[in-house]
Amino acid sequence: MRNYTPLVTLLLIYAVMIAIGQGIQGMWQPIMLVIFYIAVGQALNIFLGMTGYVNFGYVALLGVGAYGMAVALGYYTDLGLIPALTLGFILAILLAFIVSMVVGGIALRLRGAYFAIATIGVNEGIKYLILGGKIWGGSSGIVLSGILRKAYGAETMRFLSTVFADAGLIVVAILSGIITMYILNSRLGYGLIALREDEDAAKVMGINVRRYKQIAFVISCILAGLIGATAWTLKLTYVFPQDVFAINYTVEAIVIVMLGGAGTLLGPVVGGLIYALLKYYLTIAFPGMQLLILAPLLIIVILLFPEGVVGYLAKAARGTRFEKFVR
Amino acid sequence: MAFVEQLISNLLYGAILGSVYGLATMGLSLIFGVLRIVNVGHGAFIMVGAFIAYWMFILYGIPPLISLFLAIAVGMAIGLAIYMLVVKRLVDAPELASLLAMFAIGIFIEEFAKQIWGADYVGYSWEIGGVSMLFTEVPFTKLLAFASSIVIAAVVYVWFRKTKIGKAVRAVVEDREGATTCGIDVNRIYALSFSLGIGLTVLSGVLVTLFTPVGINVYMGGEYTLKAFVIAVLGGLASPWGAFYAGFIFGLIENGSYTLLGLIPGVEPFGLTRFLSSVVLMLVLLVKPTGLLGGE
Repeated sequence: MRNYTPLVTLLLIYAVMIAIGQGIQGMWQPIMLVIFYIAVGQALNIFLGMTGYVNFGYVALLGVGAYGMAVALGYYTDLGLIPALTLGFILAILLAFIVSMVVGGIALRLRGAYFAIATIGVNEGIKYLILGGKIWGGSSGIVLSGILRKAYGAETMRFLSTVFADAGLIVVAILSGIITMYILNSRLGYGLIALREDEDAAKVMGINVRRYKQIAFVISCILAGLIGATAWTLKLTYVFPQDVFAINYTVEAIVIVMLGGAGTLLGPVVGGLIYALLKYYLTIAFPGMQLLILAPLLIIVILLFPEGVVGYLAKAARGTRFEKFVR
Repeated sequence: MAFVEQLISNLLYGAILGSVYGLATMGLSLIFGVLRIVNVGHGAFIMVGAFIAYWMFILYGIPPLISLFLAIAVGMAIGLAIYMLVVKRLVDAPELASLLAMFAIGIFIEEFAKQIWGADYVGYSWEIGGVSMLFTEVPFTKLLAFASSIVIAAVVYVWFRKTKIGKAVRAVVEDREGATTCGIDVNRIYALSFSLGIGLTVLSGVLVTLFTPVGINVYMGGEYTLKAFVIAVLGGLASPWGAFYAGFIFGLIENGSYTLLGLIPGVEPFGLTRFLSSVVLMLVLLVKPTGLLGGE
């Protein structure tokens, strides 16, 4: 039975967030932080939530996406603004696609724990390839602000790094949600959930588990690359390997998915909301201690609420008239 | 031939360092072999050992070799506490849960350590002279680290082979239900193996400091987590002995490739060796997931 009604809830949440951000003075920054974390969670959820496989190299995909955009804007400035931006998105998608095909092609032949181990080296590997091989500026990164100002003027640069970057991120976030809903309602989604519950049984039932996992992995990675391109390169106008390959984003994404409810549409939204607001106000109250608070939180969620908030709500809503709106 | 001399002395150094790498990975393999739990926070425990060595030396002038005893005691206590509080409930849970929990524990330990010790790099130097070998001068401290790694690994080996409780651990690895039927308390074996695994890891952290004069930092573990997984996978993941031998292989690969990569102009060889580690990890998993040394 196809059911797209949870999308109504999703779009409603975005509408309310954008209205609050635009309407109330000083709220746009926290709202964009929330949307960033929702997007990060939603993209990871497509793989981790639906297959039960852990990708410890997740942030590397945001990193290569960020580099794809930075390389296009920084090295192909002569093309003009629109072609360079288009090239940026293409490169971000392409790099994420290549990395996910290589990593997935090798690591997805392995089951569960072995897959997770294989992904442990991905982030460090790419980071040190760039640092050690002195690729794309090595440790000095790519700084775009000067280049962009010179080529397109200060006004255009400000537009790019504010309105355009934010709008791009919102589009990617909503797109991730729509793709999640589509997968949940499709043959792919049923196959993935079957293999998450019992991979051998799914295989026996004729599901091409290897292919299904690979598709979910590539989709999740490409969306991550687009988040890196918009939320980091366009918004911050610089890319440094130490920043874009920082492992704490992988942790944060996992916490968001687990907190909200793995394998659900609204899970990352709820998880992202709770997490980003917690982080925003905790950073003010206890600077530098987010991870110290976060790690025990993740352990508690795993031990006590393995289904997450939305998993719990969906159970509670079963049989009521809200049933169709929560998933 | 200056290059050949450099290569040979680097390989010698690699073999010495490899013994410590091997020891640092035994705990990881022991925990995976017995409990089927992947300690993704492995490096954090090495960091704890490094700080034990540092503080004992700086505050009381105690040489690292004596700190080894304290380190294994502290490590086993931490391991037991983690087992009782968290791991016990996750032994039969889906892999996702235990992977994420160990990941979170590693981060918690690092962040907690940062609150106590700060984020600065520290170090100490323990000078007791050296000996000239082949083309290079090898400090006694590194030879002592080499010797103690081998002795500790041998003690653990004998303990597993000869004592009753060591045999019980092997029985649980072989067949959990069977072991239970024979009157072995599986829960106790799990607790013991987990705390011994963490104990060995913290202990190896003490020896690691003999190779990194100023590299002690709360986030130093990440590098060792990656190396430990490369080594563990080379050795077959579930076998502590495989891990110990694979440590040597990895030490040789790492130091040999460092010398060779140094020949390429315009690159930074240290960064590239770390890239190479993750490539080796992927390749071994691709070609022979059961480990180069046979495995199960």
